[in-house]
Amino acid sequence: MNVKTKLTLIVLSLFSIVAFAQDNYLIKGKVVSQVDNLPIPGVNVIVVGTTNGVSTDFDGNYQIQVKQDDVLQFSYVGFKTQTITITNQQTLNVSLSEDTSQLDEVVVIGYGTQKKSHLTGAIAKVKGEDVAAIQSTRVDEALAGKLPGVLVQNQSGEPGAAPKIQVRAASSISGDAGPLIVVDGYPISGSIATVNPNDIESLEVLKDAASAAIYGSRGANGVILITTKKGKSGTPTFSYDAFASFSNKYRKNILKSGPEWAAFSRQEIAAGNWDLSQIDPAFVEYRLSAYENSPGAISPEDWLFRTGSQISHNISAKGGSENVNYFASLGYQNTEGVAITQGFERVNARLNLDIKLNEKLSAGLSFNGFTSDRDILAHDMRDLLRAYGVHPVIHTAESIAFVQDLNNQAIALGLAPFDDGYRGGVGPSSIFDLVPGDRVDDWQYGRANNGIGGSGDAGPAQKLDNADLWEKTFYGNVVTYLQYQIIDGLNIRTTFGGDFNDTQRYYWQGLAADSRARTNQTDLDQTDLKRTSMLGETTLNYTKVLADKHDISAIVGYEFQNTYFKGTSLTGTNVPYTDVVNFNLLDPADVVTNERDETRTRNSIFGRVQYAYDNRYLLSASVRRDGDSRFGSNERYATFPAFSLGWNVHNEEFWNDNVVNLLKLRVSTGSLGTASFLGSYDSLSLLNAGPTVDGLGFLLPVNANNPNLTWQTNTETNFGVDLGFLNNRLRLSVDYYTSDIKDMLIRKTQSVVNTGYNSIIVNGGDMTSSGLEIELSANPIQTEDFNWNFNFNLSTVNTEITDLVDVDELPQVQYGQSGRGPIFRNYVGGEIGEMWGLETIGEVEMRYLEDPTRNPNNTSGESYVVDQNGDGVINSDDYVKIGQATPDFYWGLNSNMSYKNFDLSMQWQGSHGAEVYNIDPLYYESQWSGRLVDSFDANNDGIADNNGEFYIGNRRQTDSGIQDASYIALRNITLGYTFKPEWINKMGVTNLRLYAAATNLLYIMGNDYTSYNPEGIETTNTGYAGPTTYGVQVGASPIVRSFTFGLNVNF
Amino acid sequence: MKKIYLFITTLLLVTACNNDLEQFPPNIASADSLTDFAGVLNAAYFYQLGTVTPMAVMGDFRADNALMFEEPYPSFDRYNSDLLDMEDQFFEPFYIAAYRSILSTNTIIANSTSTTDVGEAKFLRALSYFKLVKVFGPVPVNLNPPVVNEDTAQLVRQPVADVYNNVIIPDLQDAIAALDNSGSKGRASQIAAHALLGKVYMQMGDFGSAEIHLASVMSDAAAAGVTLQANFADIFGSGNDLNSEIIYATQMSASITDEYGFTEFTGWFIGNDSKAFDPLDTDLSDAYDAAGDVVRKDLTVDVPNLRSIKYLSEDPDHDFIEIRLADIILLLAEARNENTNASGAQSATILGLLDDIRTRAGLPSLSGTATTQATVRQAIADERRLELAFEGHRWFDLVRTGTVDAEMGQTINANYYLFPVPISEILASDGVITQNVGY
Repeated sequence: MNVKTKLTLIVLSLFSIVAFAQDNYLIKGKVVSQVDNLPIPGVNVIVVGTTNGVSTDFDGNYQIQVKQDDVLQFSYVGFKTQTITITNQQTLNVSLSEDTSQLDEVVVIGYGTQKKSHLTGAIAKVKGEDVAAIQSTRVDEALAGKLPGVLVQNQSGEPGAAPKIQVRAASSISGDAGPLIVVDGYPISGSIATVNPNDIESLEVLKDAASAAIYGSRGANGVILITTKKGKSGTPTFSYDAFASFSNKYRKNILKSGPEWAAFSRQEIAAGNWDLSQIDPAFVEYRLSAYENSPGAISPEDWLFRTGSQISHNISAKGGSENVNYFASLGYQNTEGVAITQGFERVNARLNLDIKLNEKLSAGLSFNGFTSDRDILAHDMRDLLRAYGVHPVIHTAESIAFVQDLNNQAIALGLAPFDDGYRGGVGPSSIFDLVPGDRVDDWQYGRANNGIGGSGDAGPAQKLDNADLWEKTFYGNVVTYLQYQIIDGLNIRTTFGGDFNDTQRYYWQGLAADSRARTNQTDLDQTDLKRTSMLGETTLNYTKVLADKHDISAIVGYEFQNTYFKGTSLTGTNVPYTDVVNFNLLDPADVVTNERDETRTRNSIFGRVQYAYDNRYLLSASVRRDGDSRFGSNERYATFPAFSLGWNVHNEEFWNDNVVNLLKLRVSTGSLGTASFLGSYDSLSLLNAGPTVDGLGFLLPVNANNPNLTWQTNTETNFGVDLGFLNNRLRLSVDYYTSDIKDMLIRKTQSVVNTGYNSIIVNGGDMTSSGLEIELSANPIQTEDFNWNFNFNLSTVNTEITDLVDVDELPQVQYGQSGRGPIFRNYVGGEIGEMWGLETIGEVEMRYLEDPTRNPNNTSGESYVVDQNGDGVINSDDYVKIGQATPDFYWGLNSNMSYKNFDLSMQWQGSHGAEVYNIDPLYYESQWSGRLVDSFDANNDGIADNNGEFYIGNRRQTDSGIQDASYIALRNITLGYTFKPEWINKMGVTNLRLYAAATNLLYIMGNDYTSYNPEGIETTNTGYAGPTTYGVQVGASPIVRSFTFGLNVNF
Repeated sequence: MKKIYLFITTLLLVTACNNDLEQFPPNIASADSLTDFAGVLNAAYFYQLGTVTPMAVMGDFRADNALMFEEPYPSFDRYNSDLLDMEDQFFEPFYIAAYRSILSTNTIIANSTSTTDVGEAKFLRALSYFKLVKVFGPVPVNLNPPVVNEDTAQLVRQPVADVYNNVIIPDLQDAIAALDNSGSKGRASQIAAHALLGKVYMQMGDFGSAEIHLASVMSDAAAAGVTLQANFADIFGSGNDLNSEIIYATQMSASITDEYGFTEFTGWFIGNDSKAFDPLDTDLSDAYDAAGDVVRKDLTVDVPNLRSIKYLSEDPDHDFIEIRLADIILLLAEARNENTNASGAQSATILGLLDDIRTRAGLPSLSGTATTQATVRQAIADERRLELAFEGHRWFDLVRTGTVDAEMGQTINANYYLFPVPISEILASDGVITQNVGY
């Protein structure tokens, strides 16, 4: 061997040594999350450019063969991918940070999820933590002002009462049916109240028809998809949230009590504004000093309203092993309302299990239980508050002495003694038999013509103490699913579940609530209703990305749902006056029993295809066919298609994303149906059995046979643009939609002569509605210490009736309370539920009252009106449009700031342009049997002599009841402090936050609005026919301002 | 693997459960399935309850027997369009109750095979239309069972004469033929049909035909178990429900609630409703005094407290007496006076018919106190007022005899003899049903 050969051999062996040194070796390490330093199992670790890859195990550990200069990539959903070049280290520990990029965010859509970048419909999303942060009793209250196109309105204001949720305009014509609530893929038959706000991971609202069409016949009012929290593999983590709050009604008292009225009266008399020439001055003085001196006089508002309180506790645990994840929570909340006797108590429990049976098969099980007890104000608030604040609730020795003395004064003035006003009842029959501790009745203080007492009614305390109204609910929901992966990308999933809703409602009104102790005014009613539903659904899902450009997903499914109602109701009257109240103390003839046994069934098939090309061109198409047993036999089935397109312009090559980094155009159109307010058997004519004096009677059937009763169909088109600026620090979305509703289900009024009832249910016409939704979100300041982001949304709604089948106008309806209230007109070319009445030009002045001091707070109760057609007569020909209850636009503003460990968030909400017809002033301002002076209209021709104007009583369909229902509210402001991890980690706590918050800290009402709650709308009086008669307010429970202190702990 | 497939298939089958879309309630019958109409007849009687108090209030408060107190109720005592304020309290429940009764009777008449059921139904239908015509004047006529009909043309109000001649009179004649007198006084009977037909003819002013039927009531009375009570007090009070003097009464019960939901007539008259605080109109008590009537006065009115005590108390069990024998006797006298006493010669005999009523009231016979047709007429009318006060007759008597202005002491526009039609009906029928002139 010569030298050259030896050198070559040495060099070659050296190379082989080097080559040997560059060989694969096993690198190890651990991957943790930067957020909480906990290991992340399942992270993908791959060597870039090869097929060499592993996953981290349960403890976050991995090991992989690498060689120097290999690039290792660590990726996991929800975390920013990291790539690290190998430099011969033996161990490589990685800490992954959370990926909060909105572009890759996943949005839940019907029957699946979709990347936000591929979305073509109008879907609004709220994160679970934003919902829980509002400290409200219910999920739907927490949504107020957060989502464009979703209006949440507190119609009743009572704790635990369901607010009305209106998604866009569609539901404004479908009766009071709210949106469909789908929890983890299961459409629940309970209300949204059964979901604990702390359990929510995210909430999506499907607003446009194309997104909701996959739900077919139930999606017309919008669909709310709730995803609850799921477990996560790893050691269990716990979370405890608690808060306590105090609340009061927002608005100060609106009525004057007796002494305040006397002071006001004296002032007006001294100023010469009132004319007392027709009244004996001694009588006036007698009355005014009685108002002033009545011992213990309390305003009904001071008696009825109090400081309410609320406490809430919630504890949850999440964790899991490699194959099983769990999430469990338990919540308790107890509220005392701001009006006495109001209260709401609830308990929620949830368990979610996700099980991976093997690689291809996964299953899940979730349980949700809910129970609530709601104490409801047992007597109409309007009636309680219209009492006069001239006497105490319970007699004292002073008040009895006062009454007897007042009686003597009255007799001395030649007036009737007070005892003449006694008309029966359970208390003493003479003012001389009163003892301290007796409840006060109005007649004991005289009547309007001889004293200061009010009506012959029982006092408000009598009415409320002798009535009781509560509602208990038990709800349980069990859902299971099984999912099997057939081949890569194709899986079949079956969901099966049931829910059970048991409601019990009880109402008692006793003998002492009636001033004359009439037994037929007593009630003892109890209703028990069990509603169960079963749903089964099977879907075949396919998702695949082909050639890196074609992203396809398709779904085909079948669903059936059966709902059963079983219940009994007892209605009793002539309740005996005993300490213990029980149905078996009533005469059997006085108890009427009714039974309810109904079944509703529904079958559906549906399918959807979604396709995205290169993340630029997006397409989605779906179709659903539903059949429902509630419809007439000729019209059971309907098909609902939807189609949408989108274009991610910013992903185009030609697009320069220096300024505008996101530009997406989308259009969607779809058709949905709704069964609206239909009962189970409204298309059938059924016998209506009832008791009569001679025995069993078959009363007139309520419905007429209508085999053509069918769906109300809503076809909606949505145009949308999404823009992002400055790397998505500023985002703007604008959506414009038009929707066309056909075959509107309405209760059409008709003459009683035909069927004995004044309304029938028909598919009555068409309506179009449209609106604009704007959402602006920005993150103006984003520094290490200080972060501020806000979100603003604005929505407009317009509705117009376009066709009413054979007529130009539906029969007009007068709705309100005892003949007070506007005329509702629904005609082609107008909005739905327009209120019409006489136009007033001012109230008749107090100086024309014969006796202005007569009843506290009284006014003339008459207004000058306009004779529109100049025919010299005031009648319905002079009616004009006086208002409408749908707002012109509504908005919300959510702002979040954080500075170091402090956080401050605010939520504003406003609504403008709605009017409400407020009935309450027609009662508390009425002068009842008082009169105007004769000289006001000497010849009794209906024209005032002083100014030549026509005048009429306010209660006669005038616009004096119309008030502005607009408002701006600071719904919530929260200031929180998160403790530094170093301080608390020693206690084993990972996160501790304390906060203080206020709800409705500021609530600005319209200038002319005189009651407590501009959002309140009356929907329970007889004659209410849905949105066609929507807009009257009678005694709405007040807006409440509360202050809260709370904490969140994670450990 | 196979087990998995089996499991999945089972699940698929479960979810593919067939659920029938044809659903009927298991515990309620379809309206088409009725064969026995006794229940519908009971319902027709039941609906009459809602007409009772409105008519009682209209009959006495509108006239000079009773007064309202708290606004807007005194619109009853004024004769202008103010009365529209009372529509939802009285006229609308009355209208609804009457038509519901009519529709129930239409179902029976169209479908039932039992002649007595049809006879009772026809009586009730005639009674309902009679009440409607007395209150509103022309009214829509519907003789068909309930059916949805969106065509408003058939809702046109028929003239009063047509309603009488085409509906009320033929129905009552059929009822007379079909019924006997074996049932209770709360149900239709032959004698009740005769009596009602007599009243109908009196309302129409056809005294000749009226007299025939009223006379036949008198002759059938004893056999049918209808006799005058010996004491005036024994006619009233719920303990005396369905006593022998009653020919037909609408039965009321505390356990049964009806279309009219407010204070019942017994409460109104006794002054228990604060809207009519002291309901008695002193014009009535003066009339008792002028006649020297003590018995009936003490049993009917309580002057110091200005109220009526005829029904003893506010009693929800007290039946409403639609027709009683004294009423028929007075009408018969009135008819005979019109038919046979033009000269005044029959005055004594005619006034003698009232003797039993007068004796019971502790008063002497009226024979001889009036000798001309006109004065006899007045005497009978006055007696009628004292006997039937607070039974819902006065206003309707004044209107039918044309003595409104004379008795009320003021000139009242004839438009206000009738009551306003419910506004909801006018609106719902798009104006096909018109309002009465003046309102």
